[in-house]
Amino acid sequence: MKFLINPNRFTKFSDLIFKPLIYLSSVFLIIGIVFAFFLSPDDYQQGATVRIMYIHVPAAWIAILTFFIMTLYSIIGLAFKINFSFIINSAIAPIGAVFTLICIITGSLWGKPMWGTWWVWDARLTSVAILFLLYLIIIFLKNSITNINVSEKITAVLIIVGSINLPIIKFSVDWWNTLHQPASISKLSSPSIDPSMLRPLVIMTIAFMLLAIVIGIIRIKAEILKRKLR
Amino acid sequence: MLLVNNIYFSRQSKTILKDINLSLPPKGIIHLTGNNGVGKTTLLKIICKILNPDEGDIFWNGKNIKKNHYDFCKNITFIMDKNTSNENLTVYENIIFWKNIFSSQIKINEIDSILKVLGLLQYRNTSTIHLSFGEIKKLELIRLIIEQKKLWVLDEPFVGLDLKSVEIILQTITNHLDLNGMVIFTSHTLPTIPNINTLNLEINE
Amino acid sequence: MSSLNSILGVFLRELKIHYRSFFNILSIFLFFILSIIIFVFAIGSNKELLNQIGVGIIWTIILLSNTLSIKKFFQNDFDDNSLIIIHMSGLSYEIIALIKMLAIWIFLQAPFFIILPIAFLLLEMQFDNLKIVYLSFLIGSVIITCISAISGSMNLLNKRNFSMGGLIIMILSIPVIIFGVNIINVSSNIEIIKAQINILLGIMFFFLAISPWASGLCIKISLQNK
Repeated sequence: MKFLINPNRFTKFSDLIFKPLIYLSSVFLIIGIVFAFFLSPDDYQQGATVRIMYIHVPAAWIAILTFFIMTLYSIIGLAFKINFSFIINSAIAPIGAVFTLICIITGSLWGKPMWGTWWVWDARLTSVAILFLLYLIIIFLKNSITNINVSEKITAVLIIVGSINLPIIKFSVDWWNTLHQPASISKLSSPSIDPSMLRPLVIMTIAFMLLAIVIGIIRIKAEILKRKLR
Repeated sequence: MLLVNNIYFSRQSKTILKDINLSLPPKGIIHLTGNNGVGKTTLLKIICKILNPDEGDIFWNGKNIKKNHYDFCKNITFIMDKNTSNENLTVYENIIFWKNIFSSQIKINEIDSILKVLGLLQYRNTSTIHLSFGEIKKLELIRLIIEQKKLWVLDEPFVGLDLKSVEIILQTITNHLDLNGMVIFTSHTLPTIPNINTLNLEINE
Repeated sequence: MSSLNSILGVFLRELKIHYRSFFNILSIFLFFILSIIIFVFAIGSNKELLNQIGVGIIWTIILLSNTLSIKKFFQNDFDDNSLIIIHMSGLSYEIIALIKMLAIWIFLQAPFFIILPIAFLLLEMQFDNLKIVYLSFLIGSVIITCISAISGSMNLLNKRNFSMGGLIIMILSIPVIIFGVNIINVSSNIEIIKAQINILLGIMFFFLAISPWASGLCIKISLQNK
């Protein structure tokens, strides 16, 4: 597992798995898209729009997972003074931001036919939007300090503070939401999902994860090279 | 006794200090020279433990300062290139602040006499924002007397001072050395102090 | 004993400095009053409407006025190296941050207790609610001070982007706003008020615990790379 904290080993390991990963992720993506668009049934309430879920949910998963990984690496980097973790942080933060944006956009595309508006102050939408803003602030803060040694460490502190603050924000937004408006989307969170829909969802989730890993490897390697050039 | 052992320091993959060794016994004084950018200030900051060296250790009376950081701080006065007096406070308030935080035993009339010698007595209740650069520098150097520490670390102490003040500072340093004190300082001019050791830092390729 | 002297010395100095820049601080409160007046101009002086959204306006503007004072935290002492001197007198950066937070709270948050009734007057709100707003502000102001300390220490070396500090404060203080404003909407039910106050207290203790660490670390990192 040394490749997770050592740039040289990471480069070697990623060279090894890069090509298989690309094949694997494209295969999964194609199968997933075929399943999502042709081999899964329409929802009896929502019709064909339910297919947005197959992009929306995996994107949301990756958005949260990326932040979780960044938090772990920030703690490791600050506690054990491992500089590679800051490289990873600065490489994957934009990935998380982009997937959060995808999640928000698909969510509002889904919301338009369902609720009749692009945007609802629903608890989940709001907290994802805040997550997106937090991603942006992290990226901006990193770029606004000229000295890279300072910026990456201070960004790590912000990531840790933000990650502990996120559950509080989520909780308070939930609270705020229940006070302000009736639960309009309870029908979305149906307790059990039909297997015919679960199958494409799982495949798409795996495909998105692999895709995110591929992009992550490319970005991390670019970041390593960028630091070497300096 | 200050002992600096095999200090290495690099910043952004550029080596600044390489294998620096120092030893400073009581009554010792070291004059650091070298061109701009060789790391004189960096070395002083490492000695004061503001920066951490990549390799090497610093010992104070046989104890590694990594473990006895605050004990070590009780023995050291650091005069930096910046003036730490606050411009919103008067000369006297700045002095009282230093006296408070360093728990100094110095008396008020002693402070007044020092101010008089340095020609600052008339500005006793003036905000430091109205003082000239040299006067603020003199105010900064009063910290040496207030703190009453063993080891003085001075970064360019003579910049901006007139000849008379330089004489006074040199006299103060000589007195401090006579009282078993230690001094390490950087300067581009060679002051006249007996028994001075000069350490010339060179640029590391 | 000597460290107690140092703490007192630093605290007294902070008080003196803030006292000297009194008009600077006063202008922040002027900003507060002026913003409320402009808010009233913008939405009209409809009494019922103002009564409904008044607390929201007050909290929003308190937050905005706090973003004006971030630079007051550490920037001057960082620029002239006083932080190093204070640190070498035997205080850790965490304790320095705590002292500064206390001084800032006294000079930049406590005066809001005097100004809040004026805001209530201007917004024609019911004075029955003043007590609850005081209570929520007492807790919320501590949280905002902690967040400002974190944000101020993060931007010590930031010379490029001046709005960064305000952004960090705003994103971290979303829970404070939600609970601070909601408390008035549920003011009929004493049990819910208690629950919300408890939640606010929890957030306050959390930030009191984390902000000295975070600001101390950021100050240390910035000093090492100055």
